[in-house]
Amino acid sequence: MKKILPILIASAAGLTILAGYFFQDQLAPVLGLLIHWGILLVGLTGLFGIGYLLKMHIMRIIRHQKGGFYSAIVLMSFLFTIGLGILLTPQHPFFRDWVLNIQIPVETSLLAILAVVLLYTSLYFLRTRGWTLMSVSFLVSALISLILNLGYIQLQQGTEAAQWMNFIRRLPIVGLRGILIGMALGGLIVGMRVLLAMERPYDGDK
Amino acid sequence: MTWSEIGWIIIGLAAILLTASSIIFKGRRSYFVRTSPAVKAFLDQRVTAIERGETRQIVLGDRFWSRANPGLELHALAVLPDLASPEAIADGGQTVAAGTGELVLFARQILTGGYQDGFSTGLHSLIMPVILPGPTPLSFLAGFLPEIGFQSPGSVGLFGNYGITAPMLAEGATRRGGHAFAAAGSVTAQAALFLNVRDLLIGEEVYLLPGLITRTPYNQAGWMAEDILRASLIALMAIAALLKMAGLL
Repeated sequence: MKKILPILIASAAGLTILAGYFFQDQLAPVLGLLIHWGILLVGLTGLFGIGYLLKMHIMRIIRHQKGGFYSAIVLMSFLFTIGLGILLTPQHPFFRDWVLNIQIPVETSLLAILAVVLLYTSLYFLRTRGWTLMSVSFLVSALISLILNLGYIQLQQGTEAAQWMNFIRRLPIVGLRGILIGMALGGLIVGMRVLLAMERPYDGDK
Repeated sequence: MTWSEIGWIIIGLAAILLTASSIIFKGRRSYFVRTSPAVKAFLDQRVTAIERGETRQIVLGDRFWSRANPGLELHALAVLPDLASPEAIADGGQTVAAGTGELVLFARQILTGGYQDGFSTGLHSLIMPVILPGPTPLSFLAGFLPEIGFQSPGSVGLFGNYGITAPMLAEGATRRGGHAFAAAGSVTAQAALFLNVRDLLIGEEVYLLPGLITRTPYNQAGWMAEDILRASLIALMAIAALLKMAGLL
């Protein structure tokens, strides 16, 4: 029973949601209820997640592990922000300014580092993957796409050259669609395996 | 025919194919079509890391749900039991990291459930930490990078859903001498990971991973159903394109 009950709940919920996609009018009340339960559970797991985050940093300080100093800063910032949020409410202009003026510059600087990492890895791409047909094709097609999307090459519409250029511009979209179709099929099969209880990621059994 | 009806047909066909092929493979037949050097390299590297006393990280993604790539989070969780064998965690160097509360809870449930079936839960809770370095994609990145830096990573496996920040996680591991492996989405993340991860699974290969690690009858049934669906879809698209060219569609 301990094994069967989660399977029954998971399959019933999944099949009801799936059926609701096709019979929207008939199943709307049930779907609304299930979706609300889902949102409630997701919110609750968010709280658990914060608990895990705090536990990780507290344990690091208690055990005197590497990075304990940073963990202390994280904990202090967390406690200060949550205290301020409770005291002033999240809508208070000072609280909003306090959070956004720290969060946005930090996130922007992370994205700036990301841009540098991507540029760096692009430069070392052939060293990482070697001179294979796949890697050279990737590099050449990326370069062609970049050059075409710069917008400097403008051809008169209706000419054969313009048609060829449009064809080359569309090629990445074709590849993307191919990958997305493959991923959609993979996702469908994973979903069906869960619904048919062939795979049970929620209890660790296969 | 409406799009809903086409959806029903594809889903119904997938269910029938899965059921039929799982019956076939339960009779000990096998569908050994695929091998993946990337997966082999990842598994070998994990063994090497254990032997060298280095740490191993399994990362389950920095977001739980993506409308464009549904099922990736389930796939990441499905891989977890195969990688959390008693041998793999005995030295205490195995860590599971996730970027959302849902993933952390599911991961913990999977590991605890697995160990309740035959191993001590006390052993699991002592040596298999499940961590949440940050609850949003950017805070996860900021929290996970120092986490790799504090240890000596032997192997870092990226599974599940990511955005453009995924290559930084891989770069963080390789910079410290670790081996990065990725079987993760989204398409943006895959394109970016292609630049700096040698052992990478792309597109539908990502969903084949559980079967590439452990070949169960259900995994092989999934492969077969997916292959038949893919071949049918390619044939249908080719026929539709030909009919369109002939002016009949």
